[in-house]
Amino acid sequence: MSRSSFRPSSALAKGLVLAALAGLGLSAAPAAAQNFERPVRIVVPFAPGGTSDILARLIGPKLSAAIGQPVVIENKPGAAGNLGADTVAKAPADGHTLLLMDVGSLATAPSLFSDLTYDPNKDLAPVSMVMFGPYVLAVHESVPVKTAQELVAYAKANPGKLAMANSGVGAANHITAVSMAKELGITWKNVPYKGGAAASRAVVSGESTVIINGSTATLPFVANKQLVGLAITGEERISGIPTFKEAGLPGGDAGTWQGILTTAKTPPAVIARLNAEIGKILQDPEIKAKIAEQGGVVKPGAPTEFADWLKSATERWGGIIREAGIKGTN
Amino acid sequence: MELFDNLLIGLSTALELKNLGFCLIGVLIGTAIGVLPGIGPIPTIALLLPFTFGMEPAGAMIMLAGIFYGAQYGGSTTAILVNVPGETSSVVTCLDGHQMARQGRAGLALAIAALSSFFAGTVATIVIALLSVPLAALALKFTAVEYFSLLVLGLIAAVVLAHGSVARSLSMVLLGLLLGLVGIDVSSGAARMTFGVPALSDGLDFVPVAMGMFGLAEIIANLERPAERHVVSQAVRGLIPSWADLKQAFPAMVRGTALGSALGVLPGGGAALPPFSSYALEKKLAKDPSRFGHGAIEGVAGPEAANNAGAQTSFIPLLTLGIPANALMALMIGALMMQGIQPGPQIMREQPQLVWGVIASMWVGNLMLLVINLPLIGLWVSMLRIPYRLLFPAIVLFCCIGTYGISNSLFNVWLMLGCAAIGYFFIKVGVEPAPLLLGLVLGPQLEEYFRRAMLLADGDFSVFLTRPISAGLLVVVALLLAAMLSPMVVRGRKQALAE
Amino acid sequence: MTRLRLDRRDLLLGAFLVAVAAGALYATRTLSVGHAADMGPGYMPRVVSLALLGFGLFFLARSARGATATIEPVRLRPLLAVLAAVGVFALTAERLGLAIASVLTVLLAGLATRETKPLESMGFALLLSALAALLFIKVLALPIPLWPR
Repeated sequence: MSRSSFRPSSALAKGLVLAALAGLGLSAAPAAAQNFERPVRIVVPFAPGGTSDILARLIGPKLSAAIGQPVVIENKPGAAGNLGADTVAKAPADGHTLLLMDVGSLATAPSLFSDLTYDPNKDLAPVSMVMFGPYVLAVHESVPVKTAQELVAYAKANPGKLAMANSGVGAANHITAVSMAKELGITWKNVPYKGGAAASRAVVSGESTVIINGSTATLPFVANKQLVGLAITGEERISGIPTFKEAGLPGGDAGTWQGILTTAKTPPAVIARLNAEIGKILQDPEIKAKIAEQGGVVKPGAPTEFADWLKSATERWGGIIREAGIKGTN
Repeated sequence: MELFDNLLIGLSTALELKNLGFCLIGVLIGTAIGVLPGIGPIPTIALLLPFTFGMEPAGAMIMLAGIFYGAQYGGSTTAILVNVPGETSSVVTCLDGHQMARQGRAGLALAIAALSSFFAGTVATIVIALLSVPLAALALKFTAVEYFSLLVLGLIAAVVLAHGSVARSLSMVLLGLLLGLVGIDVSSGAARMTFGVPALSDGLDFVPVAMGMFGLAEIIANLERPAERHVVSQAVRGLIPSWADLKQAFPAMVRGTALGSALGVLPGGGAALPPFSSYALEKKLAKDPSRFGHGAIEGVAGPEAANNAGAQTSFIPLLTLGIPANALMALMIGALMMQGIQPGPQIMREQPQLVWGVIASMWVGNLMLLVINLPLIGLWVSMLRIPYRLLFPAIVLFCCIGTYGISNSLFNVWLMLGCAAIGYFFIKVGVEPAPLLLGLVLGPQLEEYFRRAMLLADGDFSVFLTRPISAGLLVVVALLLAAMLSPMVVRGRKQALAE
Repeated sequence: MTRLRLDRRDLLLGAFLVAVAAGALYATRTLSVGHAADMGPGYMPRVVSLALLGFGLFFLARSARGATATIEPVRLRPLLAVLAAVGVFALTAERLGLAIASVLTVLLAGLATRETKPLESMGFALLLSALAALLFIKVLALPIPLWPR
């Protein structure tokens, strides 16, 4: 992957330094100096109704109040989020066009798609991470296991018998499942579905037998005893389900990561202002509660942290994707 | 009687004054956006979502559901009046509904569409109240194997959508299937026939193809024969259906409702199946199938009933299992979660007020639609009095904006332009685009289910015959094929004997 | 009068289908086909294209059996005007904004028929443009610029 080297451009680097300072609370002066003169667009590269869309519609009005300009939410679905991301990558670099999406897709895109029309690491500038939503590992009631260890033992005894549902080839839960199977030395069939809802439906009906998927979509079925929850990613137990770490499973930081980015080469002061405002919005108790209802925790952070996360995720997931030979296009 | 109790709980919620108000607002907004081609209920509901945060959950859901079925209703109006299908289901309404309008029976077509929808809505409400639990269990029995067989049945039935040669219809179904394969392959992630255009990677959008081939191609052809189109602008007679009309339409309504209620429950079936299959059924049952495509009243009544019944019973998986049947239901789940309500299998036990309130409000909403729209029919029809020289540029403009609005992309406008040219070519060579559109919608699903079934069964073809539901569906396919081919065989033999 | 009269409708439809099928076969030539139990991404496109090719050849062959119906003559004016109207919308909507694009689209579409009266058409175009701006931008918040940006 010589094409997508991860060195940020120098302007971006400067921006990140300034933004990091902003994150440390030194933002008062540059933030006040930086004003928005036109309406701001938040591009959501998925259809309305998904987690990214709902987040954008939550944050939009608050951001509008903070910067004194209308904030328009624009859904630009297509090509696994790449169409919308490309729009933002090619927008004027003035911080008036924002991208809110599942940033895991940005980390996998360079490895999945060889003909990408933009470079997620070079053409986009991280503004702030927004939330993290944990994944639940669950099985259909017909699988005779009660714990994650039993599942691993069962998979070893019956290679290829389990069918692991995912939300699409190259989706974050597909890659998580592939890398988990590899690290545990087990095999299961990876069965792709069109989206997370179709995948959970298939496991509830028993068409597939295992799933790794967002907690909000999965836990109700666990509560209703149609699925057995074995482990959950992130740092805390939910509904008494042990964490991946406790269960001895690899990949405990897998899940949905949602973040806001803007066009690369946007002046650092603008990014700093946006980062500060979004950080404030994410501390709002109402927003925190709404995000918790979406099964997530708010994760505000400095642009540099976000950039580091994106860089390391791109490398790590890229390795898994190349090794497993997963392709987004030919 | 549990059913009675449940409906009573529901009605007491739905008939609260403020919920009646929300229902009315919902159906009004829904009708208005449904009439505009292209702009569907999904972006509208997304747009209104933030406004519902401050509302009570029941009121919010009642309003959003109202937008949904109001839009279905408005879509039929556009299909009948100007032959522009804004969504999959209205393609079928175009076939005979617009023909009726051309014969000066637009008012009748609209009235029958409204009555069929209301009838289906009433029955579907009772179906949901009575049968939602067993139906949801049935829906879970449908795996990739059963869906595949169901779709094969749907495609074979599509042949009857057009009149004339079976070979021409079959070739259009195949062309639709091929167009449906454009985009990134779900099972392998490989791009197919995208020619490096990123906008093609999710496949061809249905709306630009349908609006190009139906609406725009028809406009071009209309402008070529000035004498004929004045028929549309003629005085419109017969707003209220006569007793004879109702008698002709009623059996179709009943059959459409039954078919729609059953197919709507299946979360993977797609909105296309109920109206298409109802049309196919009516044409098969008709004494004189040649009337279809020339303004047959059953061709409007059956599919409209099927569509509305299916739209309502598609709430069953959501309400009983917490499983969204389509993108719109997923949006509803989002709305519920914003209200702090965890959708899922337990929702019916924990939130009976909400669930039954929404169900009862659907019936109330359908009644409102009927009451509002019957008087409005006159107004809609008078739109046809606008001289055609002004009407058609307006349709062209609204098609352009509507197509753009689907995913905010100009690519879809170009696609519609191409499809308009192809649709015009089809009119010239005498083929009809309806089977193509069904192929386009069902093709990707057909392949997806087939490959998943094979993957899960380790490549064993016999699963399609060993699973009872699938085997039953395939038997129907075989019978239909035999019925279609036998006249040809018989004719062939007669010719052979004559020689 | 022994000249072979081809059925032009079957001939054109057949040629169209053959061309589409050939194009699809060419576009998917590099995709792996796999086998029935484990189909590659190229399996379905190939099966469908070959079937379509078959139908195309069938119509071509059938056209030789003689004309059964004639094609109405093509009139270029409505065809070109309507297509151009859509094209001009696609070219101008994002650059010049909805207001101007709407006027241009309606005026161009109006050229499709001789019945159009220039003054009336102009007024109607302005009216529709205002209506579209109000409806799609103000009410439905369609993310399309109103004026050139």
